[in-house]
Amino acid sequence: MDIKYINPFINGLLNVCKMLGMQELKRTGLSKSEKLQTEHDVNIIIGLVGGLKGNVVLSMHEATACHIASTMMGGMPVPQFDLMPKSAICELANMVAGNSVSNLQEIGSLVDITPPTLISGKNMVSMISMVETLVIQFSGAEGSFDLNIALE
Amino acid sequence: MATIHIVPFVRASVSIFRDMLDLEVRSGETEEEGDSFVSRGFTVIVGFTGGWKGRFFLDMGGETAMHIASSLTGESYSTFAEEEVLLSGAELGNIISGNAITDINNNNPGLNLRLTPPSVFAGEDLSMFNVRLSSCSVLLQTDAGLVKINVAVEEGNK
Repeated sequence: MDIKYINPFINGLLNVCKMLGMQELKRTGLSKSEKLQTEHDVNIIIGLVGGLKGNVVLSMHEATACHIASTMMGGMPVPQFDLMPKSAICELANMVAGNSVSNLQEIGSLVDITPPTLISGKNMVSMISMVETLVIQFSGAEGSFDLNIALE
Repeated sequence: MATIHIVPFVRASVSIFRDMLDLEVRSGETEEEGDSFVSRGFTVIVGFTGGWKGRFFLDMGGETAMHIASSLTGESYSTFAEEEVLLSGAELGNIISGNAITDINNNNPGLNLRLTPPSVFAGEDLSMFNVRLSSCSVLLQTDAGLVKINVAVEEGNK
């Protein structure tokens, strides 16, 4: 995996989140994932095809997802993780991927994305793209979440 | 949504199950699904873009996944969370969707579908949710257990 393809994703995510009102969001860590277990119960997966082939997964806890959905809708309370926050989080992932893809285009890589799919469940084991996954941690007022990037 | 999207995937699944896994598919029932469905515990996801945008899901129970992995590798497994079971599932999803996409592209010149690499999710109470995608499922009965095939295609892009 080439590191020059990672920054467009980090910038894409920070741009979109700032635009949606998550002002305090910061990148808190970067790691390579060797194990398969994800400790988060909400995962949104978006596929990449074209100049880059792989998957991008946003993963977080249910509470964080509710908080983010609430911020996205101008502070409206989101007590339950039902259809509305699910839809909001999917839209967030879609915007992040779209923004990242246009950043990638600037460095000469044409990429197409698939629509987002949200997977939620308990004690999840996941394997993304059968390749090493780079995990970038973000944290803000809404809680912390991970951006997993698996590129072939 | 029209069932035309799922037919190539069903055809590919039946032939791969028969030729590669020696599993006869006895019957298939179609189900229209909304924008979400509940998993049996083990799901392989392959995305596609091009003339159609969407996702292909191969969904089964943990036991079925272990059975399929065993017939591919010849080993036995105690839990579906073992790496080889996940890898076998991913490979099966890749082969089936690869076959289906080839079929679709050959019959529809200019559609030019391409696949994303497969991902596997397994766990308890898994549920899938697709925004703005409507999907159609076919439930296949095999000797290894029930296998659900779900194809979700973006609306307005038919």
